[in-house]
Amino acid sequence: MSRPPISLQTRLIAASAVLAVLVIGVFVATVLAVSAARTAANQEARSKNVTTSALQLEKLILDLEAGIRGYVFTGNTRFLKPYTSARPQLSRRKADLIRATQDEPAQRRQARQINQMITEYMAVYVDNVPVIGAENLGAARDLVRQEGALRIGELQHKFAAFIKNENDLADLHRQSADSKSRHAIELGVAGLIASTILILLFGLYLSRMIARPVREAADGASLLAAGDLSLRLDERGPGEVGELTRSFNSMAGRLQETRSELEEQNAQLRESERLKSDLVNTVSHELRTPLSGVLGFTKLLLTREFDSETRRHYLGIIDAQARRLAELIDDFLDVRRIEEGRFERAQELVDMVTLLREEAQLYSLQSPKHQLAVEVGPKPLPVLGNPDRLRQVIGNLISNAIKYSPQGGIVEISAEAENGHVRVEVRDEGMGIPLNQQQQIFTKFFRGDAAASGITGTGLGLAVSRDIVESHGGRIGFTSAEGEGTTFFVELPGANGRGGEQGQSPEQS
Amino acid sequence: METRKTVLICDDEPALRELIRASVDDGYLFAEAGDGVMALELAREVKPDVVILDLMLPRLSGLEVLARMNADAELSQVPVIVITAWNETREDVLAAGATDFVTKPFEPDRLRQAVRDAAGT
Repeated sequence: MSRPPISLQTRLIAASAVLAVLVIGVFVATVLAVSAARTAANQEARSKNVTTSALQLEKLILDLEAGIRGYVFTGNTRFLKPYTSARPQLSRRKADLIRATQDEPAQRRQARQINQMITEYMAVYVDNVPVIGAENLGAARDLVRQEGALRIGELQHKFAAFIKNENDLADLHRQSADSKSRHAIELGVAGLIASTILILLFGLYLSRMIARPVREAADGASLLAAGDLSLRLDERGPGEVGELTRSFNSMAGRLQETRSELEEQNAQLRESERLKSDLVNTVSHELRTPLSGVLGFTKLLLTREFDSETRRHYLGIIDAQARRLAELIDDFLDVRRIEEGRFERAQELVDMVTLLREEAQLYSLQSPKHQLAVEVGPKPLPVLGNPDRLRQVIGNLISNAIKYSPQGGIVEISAEAENGHVRVEVRDEGMGIPLNQQQQIFTKFFRGDAAASGITGTGLGLAVSRDIVESHGGRIGFTSAEGEGTTFFVELPGANGRGGEQGQSPEQS
Repeated sequence: METRKTVLICDDEPALRELIRASVDDGYLFAEAGDGVMALELAREVKPDVVILDLMLPRLSGLEVLARMNADAELSQVPVIVITAWNETREDVLAAGATDFVTKPFEPDRLRQAVRDAAGT
């Protein structure tokens, strides 16, 4: 599992940070717009103040001039009244103008020039006129007509220029403030739009990348709970979501594995249960048949009279049936031993040649239809093991050879040394083992078609035999053709080192 | 006594056929079958007066034999005594057309009486 480079947490924090920066930007832009508007308002007030001061000063000058003129052209000092009342205000008005222009150096320079011109105008002309007029009214009149008209014209011109200048300046400030606040508003609007889009995208991202996978995981968990373990989620989520879906999938995978294991075990258990139940039926039938013989004949002998020959015959049957019961019980106990894994492993030298002869003789009495042919050499073939168990294996193979060739015939029993092993073969000319059953014949309780064919048994003989042979370090196998017969072989490690004669290569099993 | 009655014994175990024969005794003629197919063939051939039938038979099960005998006009009236090691219920076996029912292991006298009842002797 490769981790994606950026975790979901980092992504969320980054997106939140970008949003916060944007909001701060919008706020700053708004503050800028407000402050620009305030600056513009201040500027406007100041400009108004400057203009007012200039106009008041100009009116004062015109009052002075009007007073002078009234006096000069009438000769009556009464008309000097505007002059005398305006004169004391002059210095204050001049100072007002200077103060009003203190933020604008250029205008202040102009204001100083105006004040300078006013000072000259007052000193050279206005204040002289009443003095001259007292002596010579005509000379004063001329002075007013020439010098006064000139100076007042200059001053008015200067004032007009100053006010126009101030107006231009105010316009400039207003325009600058307008454009600043317009920019700030544009920036704010752009920031707001960007924030909105970002928030929408963020929401979309959250819903697509987190909410949807989480919903799918939740739905998946419900399906999983309902038993659909084959479900897998898309693993391409970002960061933790990807981890969640991957974990989900691996959990589902493990659940599926576990379930299939359990189902397999369950099937095995069911099969084992079925076999056990079959066993109970088999045991019940297999035990009851010989038991019926034993009980029935015993009862007959006890309740009815028979001649001695018949009696002996019946006792023989009772004996055989009782032995069969004992064998069956042994087989069942062997199965228990196999299941508990405890076979006693006595280590004695056992001559297989002798053992084969004895077993063949024993079984030749059982079936008059079969001819048992033992083919062994003169030399003993010793192996190391448990003689009772080995006898059980050979007896089982011979008994099978007889049972599975119900029409009778020859059963060949042979033994030879081969590559340090002792190889025993039991060959019959019976019905053979169908191909489709050959895999199963060593399975406990497996009886193939035997029950339907009326062949007795428990389905345990071969399973027990294989366990015994393998616990002796040997192997057991067979070759068979349906309808032609079967050859079982057992190979056991020889007890006297290498076997004497060189045999042929082992048969294919 | 008129002609001797015939009893057909169907069981896959020779020792048990002999036991049945010895238990029933009474001078009947006996025919013996080791599997279901043979049982049917012999039944048609010897026209037995009584059939003693094991249910666990090779090749053709006892119940199948019973069914085919019931379907056969000549055999449907023949009384059949079922012997089995299995624990089939008595009702099932009687419903399948059997006249009487004996479980293994059986009492020889009980079987003899059952045959006498069935044969009407």
